[in-house]
Amino acid sequence: MSEARETRLFMISPRSMLTPDQLVRMVHAFGEGALVKETCYGCLVEGPRDLVLRIRDKVREDYRNEVFTKIRAYPCSDPRRCRAQHGTRPGFAQLEEEWALLAKVQHGLDQVDKGAKYVAPAEKKRISVNDFKKICEVE
Amino acid sequence: MKVFIDPPNSLVLFDLVERFGHEPLSTMAAIQERVDNIEVDMPPMNVTLDDVVRGLKYAGVEVPSGVRGRLAMWGPLIEEADAAIVMDDCPYSFGCVGCERSNLMVKYLLKRRGIPVLHVSYPEDDAQAVSFVAQTKEFLEGLR
Repeated sequence: MSEARETRLFMISPRSMLTPDQLVRMVHAFGEGALVKETCYGCLVEGPRDLVLRIRDKVREDYRNEVFTKIRAYPCSDPRRCRAQHGTRPGFAQLEEEWALLAKVQHGLDQVDKGAKYVAPAEKKRISVNDFKKICEVE
Repeated sequence: MKVFIDPPNSLVLFDLVERFGHEPLSTMAAIQERVDNIEVDMPPMNVTLDDVVRGLKYAGVEVPSGVRGRLAMWGPLIEEADAAIVMDDCPYSFGCVGCERSNLMVKYLLKRRGIPVLHVSYPEDDAQAVSFVAQTKEFLEGLR
């Protein structure tokens, strides 16, 4: 992973009351000097890797289960990807799909924080021949 | 530990792996290296000619070039990985759309590596999401 530049995408869960505008203002208020770009789903933050990770940790302090992040391969406003310069957005369909999933994941994280544990689903067993015969006879 | 995620471009899996203290291995990081080294300059191409040649290690010449291109990117990540999380039963448009064969090859390569792999189902409702997050957390904390 590149140490020099990291572009990170912050996406707000649809279950959250946070808006992209509030998120961007909050990141600006950290005063870290990273490049921040507001988007429809949250924001993009770009800067040296350690700086971006610091911003991620600060955002998580306030909105632990409401804001999700991943890195983005292309830098902000890259002409190959930026819509303002007629770039293609091949990753947007995936983001849209994940956005719908985030509400459920947020609920999952909240419950796990409260102590929910994984319970393996009951294993499905095959019905015995005799039981099956009984069902058939009733029919 | 380095954890490979499948779908390799998933935000949810990337976030969860990072959240629980590991380094996710994703397509984005692989492409970023190529973007920063100015090897890729024309979308929609995300691989170079050298990558396609490198892909021969993971898929033979008779395999479609799309599969080879994808594996050229994901193969080295799988080799680097200490563990993996695979999301099964995803909707059609979730993950890298277009090539089920690549996805099957990824699962095969993971199995051949013999590293710990967690298979999780795509959560359809809140109850399944709790189970998904708890299972992922348990797995990732167990890797330490």
